[in-house]
Amino acid sequence: MDNPNFFGIRHLSPAGAYYLRCFLNEKQPELVLVEGPSDFNDILKDITSEETTPPVAVLAYTKEVPVKTILYPFAEYSPEYQAILWCYETDTELRFIDLPSETFLAIPEHGTRSTEGEEGMDNVYNIYRGLDKISGEDGQETFWERTMEQAKDFEAYQKGTQSFGANLRSLTEGKENDWAETVLREAYMRQQIKDAVDAGINPENIVVITGSYHIEGLKNWQDGGGDFSRMPKTEAVHTLMPYSYYRLSTRAGYGAGNKAPAYYSLLWEGFNRNEPEYSSYSYMVKLAAYLRKTGNPVSAASVIEAVRLAEALAMLRNGSRPALRDLRDAAVTCIGEGSFPAISMGVADTEIGTAIGTLPDGVSRTSIQEDFYRQLKDLKLEKYRTIILQDLILDLRENRRVKSEKSAFMDLHRSFFLHQLRVLGVSFAKLEITSQDNATWQEKWSIHWTPEAEIELVESALKGDTIAGAASFEMKERVENATGMGQIALVIEDACYCGMEKAANYATAALQKMAVDTVSVEDLAETAHRLSVIIQYGNIRKADPEPLKPMLCQLFYRSCLVLESACICDDSASNVIIEAITKLDNAELAHDFLDKEEWLKVLGNISRHDNLNTRLSGFAAAILMERGNMNTEQLRTEVSRRLSAGTPADLGAGWFEGLAMKNKYALIARLSLWESLNIYLMALEDEEFKKALVFLRRAFAGFSAAEKDQIAENLGEILGLNGQETSEAVNTVLDESSQQIIDSLGDFDFDI
Amino acid sequence: MAEEILRLPAEQLFKKEIDALIAAEKNPVPAGWNMSPQSVKTYICGGKVKGTKITPKYIGHERLVEIAISTLVTDRALLLIGEPGTAKSWLSEHLTAAINGCSTKVVQGTAGTTEEQIKYSWNYAMLVAKGPSLDAMLKSPVFNAMETGTIARVEEISRCASEVQDALISLLSEKRISVPELALEVPAKKGFSVIATANTRDKGVNEMSAALKRRFNIVILPAPATLDSEMEIVKTRVSQLSENLDLNAKLPEEDVVEKVCTIFRELRKGETLDHKQKVKGTSGVLSTAEAISLLCNSMALAGSFGNGSITEMDLASALQGAVIKDEEKDNVAWKEYLENVMKKRGSDWSGLYRACKELNGE
Repeated sequence: MDNPNFFGIRHLSPAGAYYLRCFLNEKQPELVLVEGPSDFNDILKDITSEETTPPVAVLAYTKEVPVKTILYPFAEYSPEYQAILWCYETDTELRFIDLPSETFLAIPEHGTRSTEGEEGMDNVYNIYRGLDKISGEDGQETFWERTMEQAKDFEAYQKGTQSFGANLRSLTEGKENDWAETVLREAYMRQQIKDAVDAGINPENIVVITGSYHIEGLKNWQDGGGDFSRMPKTEAVHTLMPYSYYRLSTRAGYGAGNKAPAYYSLLWEGFNRNEPEYSSYSYMVKLAAYLRKTGNPVSAASVIEAVRLAEALAMLRNGSRPALRDLRDAAVTCIGEGSFPAISMGVADTEIGTAIGTLPDGVSRTSIQEDFYRQLKDLKLEKYRTIILQDLILDLRENRRVKSEKSAFMDLHRSFFLHQLRVLGVSFAKLEITSQDNATWQEKWSIHWTPEAEIELVESALKGDTIAGAASFEMKERVENATGMGQIALVIEDACYCGMEKAANYATAALQKMAVDTVSVEDLAETAHRLSVIIQYGNIRKADPEPLKPMLCQLFYRSCLVLESACICDDSASNVIIEAITKLDNAELAHDFLDKEEWLKVLGNISRHDNLNTRLSGFAAAILMERGNMNTEQLRTEVSRRLSAGTPADLGAGWFEGLAMKNKYALIARLSLWESLNIYLMALEDEEFKKALVFLRRAFAGFSAAEKDQIAENLGEILGLNGQETSEAVNTVLDESSQQIIDSLGDFDFDI
Repeated sequence: MAEEILRLPAEQLFKKEIDALIAAEKNPVPAGWNMSPQSVKTYICGGKVKGTKITPKYIGHERLVEIAISTLVTDRALLLIGEPGTAKSWLSEHLTAAINGCSTKVVQGTAGTTEEQIKYSWNYAMLVAKGPSLDAMLKSPVFNAMETGTIARVEEISRCASEVQDALISLLSEKRISVPELALEVPAKKGFSVIATANTRDKGVNEMSAALKRRFNIVILPAPATLDSEMEIVKTRVSQLSENLDLNAKLPEEDVVEKVCTIFRELRKGETLDHKQKVKGTSGVLSTAEAISLLCNSMALAGSFGNGSITEMDLASALQGAVIKDEEKDNVAWKEYLENVMKKRGSDWSGLYRACKELNGE
């Protein structure tokens, strides 16, 4: 029996695509079989749709977490893509014959494989390295371009790919890690060919298009492959998605690609125009045009010289015309005056390009993608769907100059939408940190579309059918997995950012349950702080603060109950408590529905009780003073009590440190305070004084030079000194020896 | 006679290799050239031709050599730019030696170079006696190159005043030279080109005009990319030089070359080779050429005043001389390098370290 016509290709090869079309025209087959998952046949009509422009990719993904994906990108110059087009134009049947994606995804260790998978293996890698060495080129891309892309004619090309594939195969057969997979795939493909022939198609009228590597494995197709009913399977879905040249150019992540897609599309155009030199001069012209556009003058003469130099370089390698490497080196020499950085941006634009593919509306997308594109249109964000990074500044306030409610809150809805994407981890938009001044009503986003974003979007399809639905599912999951109140508070915050009240309520309920068991003041205070901010500024996002208020009350009250006992701690822990007290105090000041009396009572207790950390007692006194709940008389009593002679220095001075953390001016203005401090310090023993120094030094570190000036004046008055001189003395920066003495005090063991 | 000449031009020094390459020529030879571009590359980068070994003249960065040769194929002028001692003149000499078999058509660019030295001048006695005539004309190397269709070299072009540089513009774009005194126009023969060199350290002395730059293809020669390639260069050149100069000393050991190259590379880059430590750089240019001459000096010292092999003391004093150019600053940098880097390198380096330390007066 005759053999079908095999055509060995390299994926993403313009020459392959061109010669494949010639081959198909010559053979006029009845059936075309292409290496690609056999369950992808349903996307053919979408790929050939008039509104589809490559690069596009087929993405298959598992329906269960963890999501595994495989990706098959097609550029205009992909042989497979041209085969699909040819079949569409000539009304010929085309079938994919590789293992179905369900099986690919079920094979372990192949979460991310690709059409160029056969190049990813170590063994093969070594062979390619060896090839680089022998050819003396900078990499296999150049080797490939010179030998295959620039092949003289169809026959040379086919001979080249076949012998390359066969040789690679004989060198690596059975040695690669996924050889078993290769065997399975080829058996499956053989069976598909056999099935087609058995169905009554003359093998002569069949064209089989596969990677040249597989041709040897398919030659004995008559053997078939056996029974595949017991192949592993996992539930999987596939969809067509837009792709980008940039993504094609990076081999990271999803693998398949070539380094210079924009240049390869020039090669492809050259083939179609039947002008082999087209790629050379259009490369230079495009590069020059880009550089001129960005303000670097490039003369036409340099462009001509660069093309000539590239041709001379190719000749030196016995090449018929310049390869990409020659073009780039010539451009560096003639246009960049010898330096690559001068033209690097232009090179990136010319070689990689910014093209992204498009699909007709609603085609083969998951519902979440459809929702995404519908909202982009709705919210007038479509112009951000490019791979160029753009900034978007949102003003969340109502725009009173427009009529409809929808446009008045357009920016707010945009913000909701972008925040939902952020919660889902879709990297379409990134929130930039803005300055605090206008942070509440303004947001700055930097937005750009990438194939990764599209993939992340598809992966989110498991969580819901719409963006909002998926985001709400994601937040629910976060609440369920939360181990601390802080995490739930974050979810509440996110829910408000996303404008999703239900999720906020759900999280609030969860928070309430958790709050009952929480004893950590830091956690309580942090959560109360977050809620307080949401209640304060939530109305700008039209968030209803009411459901949060009881929660905040509860948290606040609970904090009041545990705060005093938390104040029994050492100095290193006191910083955290001080932060918590500040947050709670701010919350209390911001919301009058919180229990003020209870709060003042707690603060009063902390400031008076002697069994607590004195620094915290001092700090509580400072807050009371700041709020006007401690008059001068009370302060004086407290000062003289805390700083009475005989009190150990670390306690006395520590208290003062806490007191001095707030309302410095009020302290400075009270001369009596300084008198008490002076008397206390004078009464200290030498050793004790050294201890006190450490605390006092820390306390005064927070004072500005002008404030120190005023303290100096106070001291001058008390001690009968010239205020000016004292000020100089306290404001001098320490010299090295004094610094050492002070440092040595720090090592002092205060527990003794 | 050749034995008395201090430094033979490349085409005579490597005559055998050039002849072998010409004899074995298989590829098409451009007009005015002695061999094909491929053979020129073999001559420069090394290889084997019918049993004759071709020594590599320029090591590392083969692609730059390819670009340079291709430039000359396209009848464009070539400008080699780089730090001092990155083998610009060396490469230009060997290119002309291979292409034309003549590397001596050189104009040395200096602050005192005049336009006449680029074009032509007169034998004034004859000019006064007989009036302007071809006999009274003194042709410049560039003029000669145009007449013979060969390549002229202009060294250190950025040292020349701008009017002198500008004189080259018309020569390079019109490819003809006019002698108004004799009503003569001399067109350049096929094969004529110019290789110029310029120093990046001299940038701004006489900045080249855009018009002149446009007539050149510019190739920037970097310092050797790796320690191995630099050592290779140093070893090859030192052995060639010592043969020429009869230095009477043993060639430096492998580890001596490695030490010198390591020190030079580290001080040049401002960090140790393992990128772990920052090193203060020095004011002088520690080029590969400098390393070569340092080792030759040491050999000369050892051959004339020592036992014929380089001692650690010889090396230390040579290093000191090479590194410390600007007394105060370099001295500090060198001392720091000794203490922070060299001292910690272990026993292999301790001898050199002690010698350097001793020389430093401590």
